[in-house]
Amino acid sequence: MEFIDYYKLLELERSASKADIKKAYRKLARKYHPDLNPNDKEAQARFQQINEAHEVLSDPEKRKKYDEYGKDWQHADQFEQAKKQQAASGGFSRGFGGGGRQSYSGNFDDDTFSDFFEQMFGGRARAEGAHRGAHFKGQDFNAELQLRLSEVHESKKHTLTVNGKNIRLTIPAGVENGQTIKIKGHGGPGIQGGPKGDLYITFNILNDTNFRREKENLYSTEEIELTTAVLGGEIQVNTFDGKVKLKVKPGTQNSSKVKLKGKGFPKYKKEGQFGDLIITYDIKIPENLTGKQKELFQELKNTGI
Amino acid sequence: MRNEELIPADEICVRYQVERQFVSSLYESGIIEIVTVQETEYIHCDHLAEFEKMMRLHKELDINLEGLEAINHLLKQIQDLQKDNVRLKNRLGLYE
Repeated sequence: MEFIDYYKLLELERSASKADIKKAYRKLARKYHPDLNPNDKEAQARFQQINEAHEVLSDPEKRKKYDEYGKDWQHADQFEQAKKQQAASGGFSRGFGGGGRQSYSGNFDDDTFSDFFEQMFGGRARAEGAHRGAHFKGQDFNAELQLRLSEVHESKKHTLTVNGKNIRLTIPAGVENGQTIKIKGHGGPGIQGGPKGDLYITFNILNDTNFRREKENLYSTEEIELTTAVLGGEIQVNTFDGKVKLKVKPGTQNSSKVKLKGKGFPKYKKEGQFGDLIITYDIKIPENLTGKQKELFQELKNTGI
Repeated sequence: MRNEELIPADEICVRYQVERQFVSSLYESGIIEIVTVQETEYIHCDHLAEFEKMMRLHKELDINLEGLEAINHLLKQIQDLQKDNVRLKNRLGLYE
């Protein structure tokens, strides 16, 4: 356990007045307050140190004890004992503790004063330090979960590790890229008996398919032969569930679209409901024709097509 | 919206020892949302954390309403940037 120089922490001289302490504390608290530094653990740790330093230096009794023993804090109790004996034989006596305090709660767990503080000022001071009028909700956590599009086609269970804790969640089918869901009570612990914070998960969905997704609708492009487009026919197209047969009408134009109802993506939290699959035809113009094929096309041309 | 998710603004003022005007000012600045049901004003429980944050900054750091508005705006920007940062890091991870 190391000695903590509270004056240094607050960037103060040892002769600092009460007003100096307050001013220095306020300046640093504004800089490192956890509410102003979201998700910054370093700032949070620094703020706790500053809070602790203020807790000691703003209380005349605690400051006196701290100043008196300084680096010899480990022997403070022995010194106190010796003084008490002296008092009993006509010397002076004194105690410490109590007194007013003003400390900031921040958005963090209060039970994190240093071992040095704990050892020097004991449990009572600590309990006082933790006292506040209001109960605060714990910090909300934000996490991002990266999933593939093919993974969110069905509701699936996923295990997330947040702050070292494993959370098993069922991610409903149809969640969207960038969508954020709230998991109640999985955030930071509440302050002074306040409720736990919440966990917000934002989904980052990577498309690992050939489909383009817009909400619950899927879009794809299918190449079809020129003859199929002209004469009509049957083709096989890919859907999320596998291949399906599709009739192509004679005289189908390039870039024309067909809609396969209910073959799109599942609707979020609407079990059994699906969007549509919209297929755009891309008519393939034949290349490298044989002599015979060219002749036939020429014949067609001559008919006025 | 379920009624149990709404907390009367007056109750919040008593519990957190803040003036009613402070809650109204936060609402007027667009920092928190207030729902009015049968002439009673409520704060939705989802917005309570935001209210508590603003209250801490106001009470503990002596930040006035204009300051809270600026902080709220900048904190939102920080959060968006942090989200973007995480997203980009994740994307980058796919290519590493």
